[in-house]
Amino acid sequence: MTLEEAKRYLLRRAKELGLEAEVLFQEERELSLRARQGALEEIKEARQGGIGLRVVAQGRVGYAYTEELSPEALEWALAEARDNALLADKEGLIPPGRALGSHDLLGEGLSAPLETKKQGALALEKALWEDPRTRSVLMGGYMEKEVRVALASTLGAEGDFRTGLAGMGGSLVMGEGASLKQGWDFQLAKEFHALDPGRTALEIRERTARLLNAKPLPTGRYRAYLEPKAMAGLLWVLARSLSGKSALEGKSRLLNRIGERIASEWVTLVDDPTLEKGLLSRPFDAEGTPARRTVVVEKGIFKTFLHNAETARALGQENTGHAFRTYRGVLDVAPTNLYLEPVGNLRLEKGVLITEFMGLHAGANPVSLDFSLQALGLWVEEGEARHAVENFAVSGNLLELLQAIEAVGDELDWEVMGAALGSPMVAVAELSFAGA
Amino acid sequence: MLNPDLVALVLRQALKGGADFAEIYAERSRRRRMTVRSGKLEEAISGLDYGAGIRLFFGLEVVYAYTNQLTQEGLLEALETLLRAKGALGRVDERGAGGLDFRKTAPQGLHTPKVPFSEKDKRFRLERLLEAEAGARIAPEVQRVEASLQEWEQEVLIANSEGTWAEEKRVRTRLHVLAVAQDGTEVQTGYAAPGKSVGLELFELYPPQEVGAKAARQALTNLRAKPAPAGTMPVVVGNAFGGVLFHEALGHLLETTSVAKKASVLADRLGEEVASPAVTYVDDGTLPHAWGSTEVDDEGRPTERTVLIEKGILKSYMVDRLGHLLTGYPMTGSGRRQDYTFAPTSRMRNTFIAPGDKEVEELIAGVEFGLYAKEMGGGQVKPGSGEYNFAVQEGYIIRKGRIEEPVRGAMLVGKGPETIRKVVAVAKDWENAPGMCGSLSGMVPVEVGQPHVLVSEIVVGGRA
Repeated sequence: MTLEEAKRYLLRRAKELGLEAEVLFQEERELSLRARQGALEEIKEARQGGIGLRVVAQGRVGYAYTEELSPEALEWALAEARDNALLADKEGLIPPGRALGSHDLLGEGLSAPLETKKQGALALEKALWEDPRTRSVLMGGYMEKEVRVALASTLGAEGDFRTGLAGMGGSLVMGEGASLKQGWDFQLAKEFHALDPGRTALEIRERTARLLNAKPLPTGRYRAYLEPKAMAGLLWVLARSLSGKSALEGKSRLLNRIGERIASEWVTLVDDPTLEKGLLSRPFDAEGTPARRTVVVEKGIFKTFLHNAETARALGQENTGHAFRTYRGVLDVAPTNLYLEPVGNLRLEKGVLITEFMGLHAGANPVSLDFSLQALGLWVEEGEARHAVENFAVSGNLLELLQAIEAVGDELDWEVMGAALGSPMVAVAELSFAGA
Repeated sequence: MLNPDLVALVLRQALKGGADFAEIYAERSRRRRMTVRSGKLEEAISGLDYGAGIRLFFGLEVVYAYTNQLTQEGLLEALETLLRAKGALGRVDERGAGGLDFRKTAPQGLHTPKVPFSEKDKRFRLERLLEAEAGARIAPEVQRVEASLQEWEQEVLIANSEGTWAEEKRVRTRLHVLAVAQDGTEVQTGYAAPGKSVGLELFELYPPQEVGAKAARQALTNLRAKPAPAGTMPVVVGNAFGGVLFHEALGHLLETTSVAKKASVLADRLGEEVASPAVTYVDDGTLPHAWGSTEVDDEGRPTERTVLIEKGILKSYMVDRLGHLLTGYPMTGSGRRQDYTFAPTSRMRNTFIAPGDKEVEELIAGVEFGLYAKEMGGGQVKPGSGEYNFAVQEGYIIRKGRIEEPVRGAMLVGKGPETIRKVVAVAKDWENAPGMCGSLSGMVPVEVGQPHVLVSEIVVGGRA
């Protein structure tokens, strides 16, 4: 069966069984080209697709998915989803649907010939070696992903969109004397032609080389300057607390704090799935709610959680259209293009410039928002980077950090970590550093 | 899943297209996850993953494609895509003409579950989850508990143009309990998650109420803990999941994926002393029912027990097929991948520090002021510089040789090759614990392990 046939089959069978059902299907095409010492070491080209099912039986909700599209597999998925619903104790609903249209957010973005993409991957790897300090290149190349998402329900939802991303990047080890540093970066764009292998390679080299010959950092409290990559990591941890689902599950410290000051006046956080060049923009969410801009924190005041229909109803708040689901998962909430608005009042003075946090998944607790993270960085004095510092960890609580933000830069930079996360450089009055 | 004639056809076509080596990996996996919160089953999902990956070698160049269409048409189309992506088609090999004589080996059933995926109804599972949740309710401060059961039954077929034909059914079951304790405005969490390559007998090995109580005790401990001190100090690392430190700081540095590219600080060091003589480090994919065990790896080779470091001397790396071609080191059955969407790379299986001869008390007694890292969270490493970090989930201060007050938010950071030389004592109480490890070929189940270990100094991140 094709995905289209499978979708129709499932909706028809769900109606026959007296179930309300929502069918999410995704098709992905992936191309990745990895270069090594002037030749392509791995080429990957693939297609994958599957169907995710959400059904409501006797007012309760259950899920299943399948990548096998035989009638037996579809029947198995439908039966499992219904069983799961009947066993579940949680009320659920599939929102009333409507025609959502067919949208192309990608256009000709990935249409460059394969040969040109191969040349791009090779050029990037070659440029990573163009520094005598490069000791090895762990990975260098090009990747692209094209996704088609379609949604349909027995309640009338019907729509689809196509989107995609192209990216170039790599990872290398640089050395000077006994000092070794491993660096990486990845540039993403909606169009192949927006990527520049030479510039990306140069940035990776510069970002890595500046960390060489690092000195230990004495334990103490210092002012911190967070580069966009570091701040984006913290926004990703914070995003879990901004989710209405986390709030409902008792896993957000922001519950009952709408209208309160949770950050300094320099902090305005926005999620905007409609950004024209937004890396993860989309016309509607996983339940078919049309996308719109949401101000989450305005000048330090917490305005709203991000919601899907279910969490909005349970908390008696407005649905912000942030339903998130892959075909393999259950209904969740997630940001799309979440960013900290630039201000432009930041000037480097004295402190530690943090270039990157490591171990976010382990060292930052998304419930308590406590963090203790290994970091890489530079010692800054009189507005200039004096030398690199290493072997240290930074600790604190994310809400305290947001309160202590005293300046925000003017240039927005984006990282993709689940969501697209944007931030300028941020200055934090004081943080606790553990080192030598 | 696939019949030998179709597999032979695809592999032959691949050789005709100029490949030196061709491999098919096909998979059908059924998964279930059930989550209980506040006495209710809140989320239940079942799934069927179904797909195949085709990998071709042209010299040292690898091309890989995957598809969900496991028909002749689907597989040949994926192959065509690969040959086109490779560009200028290579020579046509004579081997393309003949048939393939697959060497089929019967699985030994080393990890066959007692209570398989299809047995017992869902209500039985739900009842165990409710027991786990009730088990966590040991104090009024424990305000939220989430218990979930993850089950997964993966059937794989791996066949290649050298005649390998390996099939295996892998069953894994894991119980996760997260407890959230709250007191005024303070919120802390505790976590316990036993898992094995077994079926529902997991509940006999780890009674659910005990797993729940363990998570809750940790949350309560963290609730009354003070922020960890910051600075460089001796650390006693707990057994079992404590092994994650050396998984990050040492294990990843011994995978040929980084070794072959000289992107590991431990490349080209065989025969050298790279660790303290107290350290013997083993990666064993054969441990019965271990979370990271399989009978064959994802390249179809039998898994084995690999002694990586013996009394401080580097003895072996972890070697997959590509790693073997690049370095000449013999393969160790270490080719692993998350699923059919990934080409395999060299990965750890069940990796641990072997038991030493000390008592745990001796290790603690030797510390004037330091940290007891009883339970660990996860971590991360950069193999090229050896820099690693990992989080302490439950920690205590050691003062004058005694374990004293709990501390929270400790992060250990350092450089692996330096830390492994600073292991000054290894206890007898060896144990392993399950985890998920992410790398180039995706997330794979692994065990980490060790007895209690004393490291003379590590940078501890905490409040300065």
